[in-house]
Amino acid sequence: MIRKTINKELKELFRDGRVRTSLLIVLLLLGIAVWISSQQYQKTNADYAAAKVSEREVWDNQGEKNPHSAAHYGTYAFKPKYPLSLVDQGVDKYVGTSIFLEAHKRNEAQFSAATDQTGLARFGDLTPDFILLFIIPLLIVLLGYNAFTKERELGTHALIKSSGAKGWKIVLGKWTALFLPVLTITVVLLLLAGLVLSNLQDYGVFQWNSLLVLGLVYLLYYAVFTNLVLWVSQWTKRSGISLVISLSLWIIACLAAPKAASNIAEARHPYPTRQEFAANVLKDKDAGIDGHNPWSKEAKLLEEQVLAEYEVDSLQQLPFNFSAYLAQKGEEHEAEVYFKHYNYLKEQYENQSGTYRSLALLSPFLPARFLSMAIAQTDYATHWDFSDAAENYRIATQEFLNNNTAQNTRYGEIGYKATAAFWQELPPFDYNPPELGQILKNNRSNFGILGLWAVFSFGLLFFTTKKNNDVTI
Amino acid sequence: MIITNNLTKKYGDFTALDHLELRVKEGEIYCLLGANGAGKTTTINLLLGFIQPSSGSAFINQLDVQENLLETKRFLAYIPENLMLYPSLSAVENLDYFSGIGGKNLNKTQLEEFLEEAGLQSDAFHKRISSFSKGMRQKVGIAIALAKDAKVLLLDEPTSGLDPKASNEFGHLLQKLRAKGVATLMATHDLFRAKEVATHIGIMKDGQLKQQFVADAISLSQLEKAYLDTMEYKTIAS
Repeated sequence: MIRKTINKELKELFRDGRVRTSLLIVLLLLGIAVWISSQQYQKTNADYAAAKVSEREVWDNQGEKNPHSAAHYGTYAFKPKYPLSLVDQGVDKYVGTSIFLEAHKRNEAQFSAATDQTGLARFGDLTPDFILLFIIPLLIVLLGYNAFTKERELGTHALIKSSGAKGWKIVLGKWTALFLPVLTITVVLLLLAGLVLSNLQDYGVFQWNSLLVLGLVYLLYYAVFTNLVLWVSQWTKRSGISLVISLSLWIIACLAAPKAASNIAEARHPYPTRQEFAANVLKDKDAGIDGHNPWSKEAKLLEEQVLAEYEVDSLQQLPFNFSAYLAQKGEEHEAEVYFKHYNYLKEQYENQSGTYRSLALLSPFLPARFLSMAIAQTDYATHWDFSDAAENYRIATQEFLNNNTAQNTRYGEIGYKATAAFWQELPPFDYNPPELGQILKNNRSNFGILGLWAVFSFGLLFFTTKKNNDVTI
Repeated sequence: MIITNNLTKKYGDFTALDHLELRVKEGEIYCLLGANGAGKTTTINLLLGFIQPSSGSAFINQLDVQENLLETKRFLAYIPENLMLYPSLSAVENLDYFSGIGGKNLNKTQLEEFLEEAGLQSDAFHKRISSFSKGMRQKVGIAIALAKDAKVLLLDEPTSGLDPKASNEFGHLLQKLRAKGVATLMATHDLFRAKEVATHIGIMKDGQLKQQFVADAISLSQLEKAYLDTMEYKTIAS
C-alpha cells in the first residue's frame, strides 16, 4: 500500500510540468553553485599555498638581522579553505584569510573576500549552502503543499476513504514520495562535492565521514520541512490556503527567524565597537610592562626583582641581556591583555550563540545552519580557533626571538644580528582545525534542537493522522 | 449484506435520516429514490462511515460500520456521482493504485482484464484519465469494484449526467455484478434506470423510507405514480 502510494505520487509529481521545471531549475542552480564554489575553492587554496611558501621564504631568507627587528617585520598566518567549504562557505567570506603576526600586537584577520567586492555583494552569492538551506525547503513547500488538499479538491479522497486504506500508510507513502526527490538531489550534490574534493589531494584533508554527517544534518532538516508541509496540507481545506501557510512557515523559518535571532543576540550581548576595543586594550597595556620603555615604573620594578633574584648589583652582571628579557616580559603582559580582551569578545560570541540556540526552537533553520557551518569548518568557532592558534604562534615566535637576543647579548650591547640560518629554526605555522568528533561534541545542543524539531514535527503529523481516526484524507 | 437498524442522523434540529430500516441481501440491487435532501446520500455516507449516526446502527457483511471502520471497507466499493480519478494517470494506473490501497496487488494483465470486464475499450487502458468522459470514468470505478472483489457496492447517483447509451451500459454492468452475488445500494433520481436494474426499490422523503417495492411487482408507471404521490407532486394531467 505504501509502495503503491509512493509510485502514484511520484508519477503525478513528475508528470506535472511545473514540478519538472522546478526540479530542473534546482538541479541547474546546484550544478552552477558547485562549479562556482569549486573554482573559488581551488583558486583560494592555490593562492593560500603560494602565499604560505612565499612568506616563509621571505622569513627564512632575512639574512643577518636583529631578532627584534624581525619581530616588528613580522610574518603572516594564513587560513586555508577547508574542503567542505565547497558545500558551505559559512562566515569565511567575512572573517578574513590571514593574520599579520608582529611584536607587541595581536591583529585581527584581514583580507576578507567581502572587502574585495563591490556593493553588489549585498545580493549574495550562489553557493551550494544557499540552495541546500533555502531553496530545497522551498522546493519541499512547492512539491508538497497540495499533497492532501488536492485529493479533497479532486474528489479522489472519497475513493481513498472508502478503500479501507490505513491513514498512516497513505501518509507514509506521501511522505516518502515527497522526500525521495529531495533525498536524490542532496545525495547527488554531496556525491559530486565528495568526488571533486577527493580528487584535490593538495588542499586540506577531505573526510567522507564529515560529508556523510553533513548530509545527515541536511536530510534531518528536510525531514522537518516535509513533516510541516504535509501537516499543513493535512488540516487545511484548500490548496491555496495550504500554499500560503507553508510559504509563511518557510519565510518565518528561513528568512525572518535568523535575522530576528541575529538582532536579538546582538542587542542582548553587544560587541564593543572597534574604537572601544582599541581604547580598552591600550588602557590595560599602559598599566603593565612596556618592552620598549625601561624607565617605566613597572620596568624598574622588574629590574629590581631580577637583580635581587640573581643577587647582582647591575644589569650588566646578569647572564643574559635584560633589555631582551624586558621585551619578552612586555610581550607576555601584552599577550595577557589581548587574551583578556579577546576572551571577552569570545564570551560575547558564546553568549550570542547561546541566544541563537535558545531561539532555534523557533526555527529548524538555525540549528541546521550552525551544524552545517561547524561541520564545514567555516563557522565563527573555527575562525576563533584559528585566530587563537595564530596568537599562540605569535607569542611563541616573540619568545623565540627575544630568547635569542637575551641569550646571545649582554645588557647595553647594540647592533646584535642573528645569523642568516637562525630564522629557519622557527617552526612554521601549522594549524589543524578541530576534528569532526570535537565539532560534534561542541554542537550537541544544535543536534539536540534539530532532533527536537524532527520529533515535534513527526509527532504533529502522527497525532493529526490519529485524530482523524486513521482516515487521513 | 447491508443492514440498517433505526439508523438516524440529526444535524441540530434537522433530521437528515429518520430511523431507517433497510435490508439488502446478496445478489440484490436496491434503488433508493427520492428528491434532493431526502436522505439518500446521508444513508450512503453512514454506510461508508464518513459520518457518525446520531442513533441506530449500520452493518456491512455483519460488521458494525462504526465499530469496524476499516474492516467493513474491505468488503465494499463506492462510486460517487462524480467519480474523480487522478487525471495524470492512465486507467490502468488508477486501477492499480486504488486496488493496491484496497489490499489487492494485481499484475498488468489482471488489471487490463478487469477494465475489459468493466466495458472499457482496450485502446483507452493506457490513456490518461484527463481525456475520459464521465461514463468511461464510471467504468473504471466498476473495474475497481471488480478488482477489489467487493461484496457490497454503494452508488450515489452514478448515472446522473450519463448519456442513455452509457447509462444503459452501466445498468448492464450492475447486472453482471449482481450475478456475482454483489449487494448493491444505489441512490438515484432516475426512475427508469431504477426500474430497469433494481430488484428492490425504496422511496425516501424527509429522511424517511416511505415506500418499498419488489421491482418486478410494479410497472414503471405505477412506480412513477407512487413516487409522485409520495412527493405530493401533482401530475400535469391532474
